[in-house]
Amino acid sequence: MHFFPVVELGGLNFDLSSILAILVSCIVVFALARAAVSNLSVHNPSKIQNFLEWVAEFVHNTIASTMPLSKAKTYVSLGMTLIMFIFVSNLLGLPFGVVTELDDAHKGPVTVLGMQIMSGEEVERLHEEGKHISFAWWKSPTADLSVTAGLAIIVFILVHFLGLTRNTKHYLKHYFEPFPVFFPLNVMKEAAKPLTLALRLYANIFAGEVLISTILMMGWIGLPLMAVWQGFSVFVGAIQAFLFTILTMVYISQATIHEHDEEHH
Amino acid sequence: MEFNWESTVITMIAFLGLYLLLNKYAFGPLFAIMEKRRELVKEEISAAESSRKEAERNMEEQKQALQQVRKEAHDIIEQARATSTKQADDILAAAKTESVRLKDEAVKDIENEKNKAIAALRSQVSGMSVLIASKIIEKQIDEKSQEQLVDRYLNEVGKSS
Repeated sequence: MHFFPVVELGGLNFDLSSILAILVSCIVVFALARAAVSNLSVHNPSKIQNFLEWVAEFVHNTIASTMPLSKAKTYVSLGMTLIMFIFVSNLLGLPFGVVTELDDAHKGPVTVLGMQIMSGEEVERLHEEGKHISFAWWKSPTADLSVTAGLAIIVFILVHFLGLTRNTKHYLKHYFEPFPVFFPLNVMKEAAKPLTLALRLYANIFAGEVLISTILMMGWIGLPLMAVWQGFSVFVGAIQAFLFTILTMVYISQATIHEHDEEHH
Repeated sequence: MEFNWESTVITMIAFLGLYLLLNKYAFGPLFAIMEKRRELVKEEISAAESSRKEAERNMEEQKQALQQVRKEAHDIIEQARATSTKQADDILAAAKTESVRLKDEAVKDIENEKNKAIAALRSQVSGMSVLIASKIIEKQIDEKSQEQLVDRYLNEVGKSS
């Protein structure tokens, strides 16, 4: 059974594999973005600059094609960060995994670089249950519910903050529409949004990784299946990143756009 | 698998950090470039529009100028034609009068020559006829009456000729 290396420091639990994966994703995204803008040109954009511009246009189109780029900048940046971070994260766990096996005869606590990742009692207990212990160091950060929850919470806070500050009256009113009786339903709807965001992303990516490890158990016979599933996982990763971004933008526009504005336009 | 809220917090911090970094070092410049390109395209389009209008105006001017020139050329040709016709008429008229004058002169000359010849012939004929008559009549008739006689004959000859 795979365990994740969790270090306890000052009463806080740090999941090393998640932190590593998040850091790697951030670094990859940042390096990609920097590479894209390292040689900016108005007349003769490089291929990767073209790609990033395409991403920007794409995200811009999904939020507000009526809003000029200068106004929508913040949202486009957010959307681009989201889509790139999630996409890279989704792909991170696909190519390989790093798993360290724990010797069955191992006694006492397990430590990494002087940090304890599993207590001696836990090891003892698992050995008594006859379980093999191994640690997974490499995974998609988005295959962890705590990570996707973090992203969803950011979106949740942002949406409601924007709704409250930019569009106060209409935002507060929409909880009581069409009738005041609907207030609990509307609250549930708002609460369900980040929940579904987090769970959808986590479940898709986690399921993909579970299936990959299952196919790995088949040995050589599973090779064609593996190829197909890897390809499909890339597709799923792209779709999920796109979906997360799109939904975020939809929520933001729902919270910030006046109905009056829409009538005028 | 347990929910690890520390991971959640770390994710949020990392994501916000990534957002700020990207915004400052990657997307900011990218958007500036895209904005610049948009401006450039707009400028190019307006420049193309204005140059098209300019070209159209020039074209119109050229057309008008061409029209003008054509009209002038037509006028010049017309004028030349009129002048030449007039000149030809003049020349013809002058030639006609000249020829009439020449003909008249020639007729007059002929008349004069004829008269002269007749006069000369008359004087000669009168001399010769005197000789002939004196030879024939042998001084029987005096010279005065003979001359009258010859003159009468010659007058009759001049009338009948």
